[in-house]
Amino acid sequence: MATPAELPQLPEPVELPKRTKRTKRSPIARRQARTAYVFLAPALIFFAIFFYYPIADILNTSMLTGQRTDEFAGFDNYTNAFEDPQARNAFKVTLQFAVATTVGAIVLGMGLAVLINQKLRGSLAFKLALLVPYLTSIAVVGLMWRNILDPELGILNRILSDLGLPTQEWLNTHPVATIVAVTLWMTTGYTMILFLAGLQGIPDVYYEAAKVDGANGWQRFRRITVPLLTPTTLFVSVMAVITGLQAFGQAYIITRGGPGEASDLFVFHIFELAFRARNFGYASALSVLLLLVIVAFTLVQLRIGRDREVQH
Amino acid sequence: MSARPAINGQWMTRRRMLGVAGGAAAALPLAACGSGAPEAEPGGGGGGGTFLAYWNNAHEYEAYKDVVAQFEKDHGVTVELQKFQWEDLRTKLVSDFQSGNVPDVVEEPGSWVQEFALSKDALSLQKYLDKDGTKIGFPDDWLDVAVSDNTHEGQVYGIQMHYTCTLLFYNRKMLDDAGIEPPATWDDFLSAARELTSGDVNGTVLNDGLSYSYPWMLQNGVHEYDADSGELLQPRAAAMEAMQFQRDLVHEHKVSPKPTTSLDVTRAAKFFAAERTAMILTGPWDIPIIKQSNPDLEYGIAPALTGKRQSTIAGGTTLFIPAQAKRPDLSWDFIKRITALKTETAATEESSMLMPRKSWAKEPAVQENPDVKPFTEGLPYAEEFRTGVYTTGKAGELEDIYKTLYESMLIEGAGAEEAFAAYDDAAKNILKG
Repeated sequence: MATPAELPQLPEPVELPKRTKRTKRSPIARRQARTAYVFLAPALIFFAIFFYYPIADILNTSMLTGQRTDEFAGFDNYTNAFEDPQARNAFKVTLQFAVATTVGAIVLGMGLAVLINQKLRGSLAFKLALLVPYLTSIAVVGLMWRNILDPELGILNRILSDLGLPTQEWLNTHPVATIVAVTLWMTTGYTMILFLAGLQGIPDVYYEAAKVDGANGWQRFRRITVPLLTPTTLFVSVMAVITGLQAFGQAYIITRGGPGEASDLFVFHIFELAFRARNFGYASALSVLLLLVIVAFTLVQLRIGRDREVQH
Repeated sequence: MSARPAINGQWMTRRRMLGVAGGAAAALPLAACGSGAPEAEPGGGGGGGTFLAYWNNAHEYEAYKDVVAQFEKDHGVTVELQKFQWEDLRTKLVSDFQSGNVPDVVEEPGSWVQEFALSKDALSLQKYLDKDGTKIGFPDDWLDVAVSDNTHEGQVYGIQMHYTCTLLFYNRKMLDDAGIEPPATWDDFLSAARELTSGDVNGTVLNDGLSYSYPWMLQNGVHEYDADSGELLQPRAAAMEAMQFQRDLVHEHKVSPKPTTSLDVTRAAKFFAAERTAMILTGPWDIPIIKQSNPDLEYGIAPALTGKRQSTIAGGTTLFIPAQAKRPDLSWDFIKRITALKTETAATEESSMLMPRKSWAKEPAVQENPDVKPFTEGLPYAEEFRTGVYTTGKAGELEDIYKTLYESMLIEGAGAEEAFAAYDDAAKNILKG
């Protein structure tokens, strides 16, 4: 292990002069600024049209009665959301889904990355095989798994039956667990690649030193790998939570939110409100609330991640 | 939820105004460059460009291709049939209504026209029918329910294109081997299903999709909505009995596997074609699937079952013109051609699809078709289960909670008391909103 004396020394911090008053820019600087704005303009216009205007519009729509009328409803749609048992159920289901897919993504992604990082023969083929589902659209994945999981006609139950094992009604009795499993099947390859990149950034010198100190494999994993993968874990968890809270295709294609409302993911619920019930006001309000929830979750995760990084 | 059922006046959002303004601006040059359009009137009859129709993915028949080719030739347009499954078509259409960028004509699955008439998104066809009705035989040549299902406040908004119902399909060999006659009543059906269930073979397979539960309700005298009292699923005791009967076929008597929540409503037909079920309740749309999967299968089609009375669901598709369509005259001409008797008969010969014209039922091609004739005998007693639901302005939401009721009982096995109590709670919230 490198001793403190061998580590490169950081330069002393330089104190910058405090800016006391706004200095007048030179003509060259002003010209450069104008040029910069010209080049930035397409992007700013793009964002204004396709990001900021829709957000403003959805905020506006969320304040309207929404179902074929354009009357101002104030915050009624928002207050109604908290009293609506179907919305509460959808949020609960979505939280379960997001937590399960996030934990699964971290555990499976990190586990597979550690396994593949052993540089065993065939690891490239393994990597590719795991990554292919991620490159496939959720529509294709959904239809494929629907057919595989069909309790009567699906191949999975046929295999179980041939092996003398009890068959299952996957989508009828455990719809959320099943769509979690399908989601992890689809996304684990991607998280594995992220963790693999993180693992390859950890200097071997730490592991060698730990070996010299007598640490076994589990201790090296717990004391070196997991802490030094914190930035990757944080990134994966933030992305997985956001993706989990926004999940739609799984409910739309695989379960239709059912049976009953058992797998009614929040975005699917919003979709049904908008396009089946045509209640755009209420659907918009739920969309805004979901946005706020996602922002809150992300800030909390970033805060926790930052605190953990400081400790290391 | 705070939506209001009452609709007062035209809903015109800023986006819609922009869309309509844009549409009107676009219509001018299009109208000007029309060639040979017979009805090139200001405001919408011109040809040229692309004529966009939203269509069901299973209904692109050769018979329609011929009509489309002639229509293109006569009007100098290119017809684009964009094909969707119903769910996706609705999503696209509702988005279009919001943006104001709508197709020229739409095929819908039989329950949207009145809903969209109520929301002012569908165009009244009354002025066209006043002019052309007699020439095309409307309404006299259409079955009464096919007209009333597309009428709102005395105005017709859609022309029925297909008109179907569900009947009992049975495997001849299985029933003959067991010495069983095709069942006519619920009791007969249960008895036959029990007899025919063994090993891998189910007596019946209840199809996926809640609309397949409607005939059972109708056979017990139940409709989804009673417009006079404003109450849902009445008479209630009969509604609970009908749903419980279906639930028991799955959970108590175990003569049918559980339905699934799939969008794929061909599952029962697949079981039937694979000879893994003796009986299914379905319509002519499954015939091509059955024949393609198992050309040698000998099947029969029996009349609808009788509960408290004999009934089946009236289904089928309708063509309508969005209110914001840019060339409604052209759209009307397209509808006339597609729903002409000659086209209907050709489509039936090709696909065994059923049609709404009374004269169609008398055609030799219909009478001599063993797959079609039983349905022509079923159509007169077919009914609409969701009559009047659209007047609540909550048709989509009410269908959702019916779906929950259906799935909670048939898939999850809930009892009728519990499931209907949850349904009533949800319905109360929707209707008061």
